[in-house]
Amino acid sequence: MTARLRAANANPEKYLMNPPRFLYVATLALLPLLPFSLRAAQDWVRYNAVPNSSKVRVDGTSTIHDWSVESTALGGYVEFDPAFDLNKPALGKVSAHCDVRIFVRQLKSGKTDMDNVMYDSMKEKDHRRIDYRLSEMTLKEAPRSPDAPFLFDTKGELVVAGVTNKIQMPVSLFRIGADKLKFTGSTSVKMTSFGITPPTKLAVFSTGDDVKLTFEWLTAKKEQK
Amino acid sequence: MNKNETAELNRRDFIGSFATLMTMLGGVELMTHAPVQAADLETLVPFQIKCGVIGLGNWGREIIATLSRLKTAQLVAVCDTYSASLKRAANSAPNAKGVEDYRKILDDKEVQAVIIATPTHQHRDIAVSALHAGKHVYCEAPLANTLEDAKVIALAARAARKQVFQAGLQTRSDPQRRFLLDFIRAGASGKAVKAHAQWHKKQSWRMTSPNPDRERELNWRLNKATSLGLVGEIGIHQIDAMSWFLSARPASVTGFGSVMHWKDGRDVPDTVEAIFEYPGGAHLNYECTLANSFDADYEMLYGSDAAIMMRGNKAWMFKEVDSPLLGWEVYARKDQFYKETGIALIANATKLANLTEKATEEAAYTTKPLYFALETFLTNVNTVSPAVEDFSATFDASDKAALEKYVSEIKLLPAATCQEGFEATVLAIKANEAVVARNKVALPKEWFELA
Repeated sequence: MTARLRAANANPEKYLMNPPRFLYVATLALLPLLPFSLRAAQDWVRYNAVPNSSKVRVDGTSTIHDWSVESTALGGYVEFDPAFDLNKPALGKVSAHCDVRIFVRQLKSGKTDMDNVMYDSMKEKDHRRIDYRLSEMTLKEAPRSPDAPFLFDTKGELVVAGVTNKIQMPVSLFRIGADKLKFTGSTSVKMTSFGITPPTKLAVFSTGDDVKLTFEWLTAKKEQK
Repeated sequence: MNKNETAELNRRDFIGSFATLMTMLGGVELMTHAPVQAADLETLVPFQIKCGVIGLGNWGREIIATLSRLKTAQLVAVCDTYSASLKRAANSAPNAKGVEDYRKILDDKEVQAVIIATPTHQHRDIAVSALHAGKHVYCEAPLANTLEDAKVIALAARAARKQVFQAGLQTRSDPQRRFLLDFIRAGASGKAVKAHAQWHKKQSWRMTSPNPDRERELNWRLNKATSLGLVGEIGIHQIDAMSWFLSARPASVTGFGSVMHWKDGRDVPDTVEAIFEYPGGAHLNYECTLANSFDADYEMLYGSDAAIMMRGNKAWMFKEVDSPLLGWEVYARKDQFYKETGIALIANATKLANLTEKATEEAAYTTKPLYFALETFLTNVNTVSPAVEDFSATFDASDKAALEKYVSEIKLLPAATCQEGFEATVLAIKANEAVVARNKVALPKEWFELA
């Protein structure tokens, strides 16, 4: 450890108030690049999740009857490379970022006791959120009519109960008005692939391993400030 | 030991010795990992709400006893201005902090919910301050002893969109009563023609204390200035339940009241009667006395096809001979009441335990209306609180309208809302006015509206 670093560790406040000279030099050297990086961030077209307008549904089976849980609280954002023009879409890979999040406690079946069993099985106390991160998006079909959707193939990572799995699913994108996008899709996953033991109650019921996720996610263009 | 057990033991012994032999021979015992146990509904403690109880009289102690049986409740604070009551409560709630000033509970960030069981006339300041402090509030019924106070509490509760407010009208969350409600509304008793409810108990309602000031405070129910009398303090639950079953609000109430037995200087009648007139002509005859205990407390609903009697967590139907056959009643359990045969109306009738319970058996703690009311309150708190927290972490926390819309669309377990608590309180106040003045009081619908 250098003497300067030792001094910085001993008195971080003083170090921050009197930073070493090389930091000035480095900052000055990087300044000209700043407009480009800001520009690049600004140019990505960002859409944020709209509250109370989305729905995710998880359908499953059990030995007594099928079950489902729902939530309307789907948060997150999607942003597209400015090169992707919704008015003149080109088939193929689309540069996009997308993060979706759902708090496990907001998934409800309408039966409190069963919800509590579900939260416990999903280790909610340690892993409060379900996250989805998009890694690849390919436009397969552009809309053939004004009301028709854009059809994509997507690859992404789904994080449930602290376990990350790669998933692929077809996603439809609908344009709603001038500044809103609605994404819909569904995929099937296994509870055990996320380390979740399908809930059972001895001699009463046991749930099936396969569940189907279906979603409708509304986003609105972020206002430019 | 039967044959099967012998066979089982032998099989286990064999498997055990085979595994041991294989290990001794140098083999590796292949063991599958024991499967992770999924949640068990019976033993799961899904959440715990940290509660404070304010007001530790008889009813406050009943609340503490009930909370101690609820695995979702964690009693962390109790409050009473009288140190002896505080000390007594500490025995049943050893882990709760005892305070004499309720504001200390409201300042305590750890406390999520408060249950207010002080004398009725003290509810207003506590309830409003608790709501302003961001606490979830369970406020005993009646909400207040004046219309103004009741309205202030109900409006504060309505404005606190991110919190749960529940009025202490316990029957509104009782599964047995909700089962009856569906049954009655489905028309099983025919057209409702009249109703009757009563509460009879031989007791003075007077409490003693060596300290005269404390005695005056303790006996707030015997003081006209602070008490809504028998019809308000006791009758509110039964009158609210019957109006609920009749799906109507009374248009007027006529009252009668006298001190018939306990002539100890009290100005609150010990025997009262109130007749409520409902639109369409049905009447509810409510009577209450501290002078005679015969037939205790129950509610009756008389329909053109059957009468329904509700006693605690039990109910029976008495059918008219010309009423249509429902079918299932042929197989239902029946109890004899003098010359009448009551068909037991039981929620979850498929559970054997419910069918074998004797008609006269006292309800266990876990089947009393207070248990269900508090259980419902805690569950609803555990629904609303995380919803607010998660929504704020998911979307723009400054968008208050969106948050309020999200919370308002959450499905909560049925319980008495601030509006229902307010309406029942208005009825209680006006019924008491009628009893005291021995006259008829009209009940215009504007009185039940929250501005």
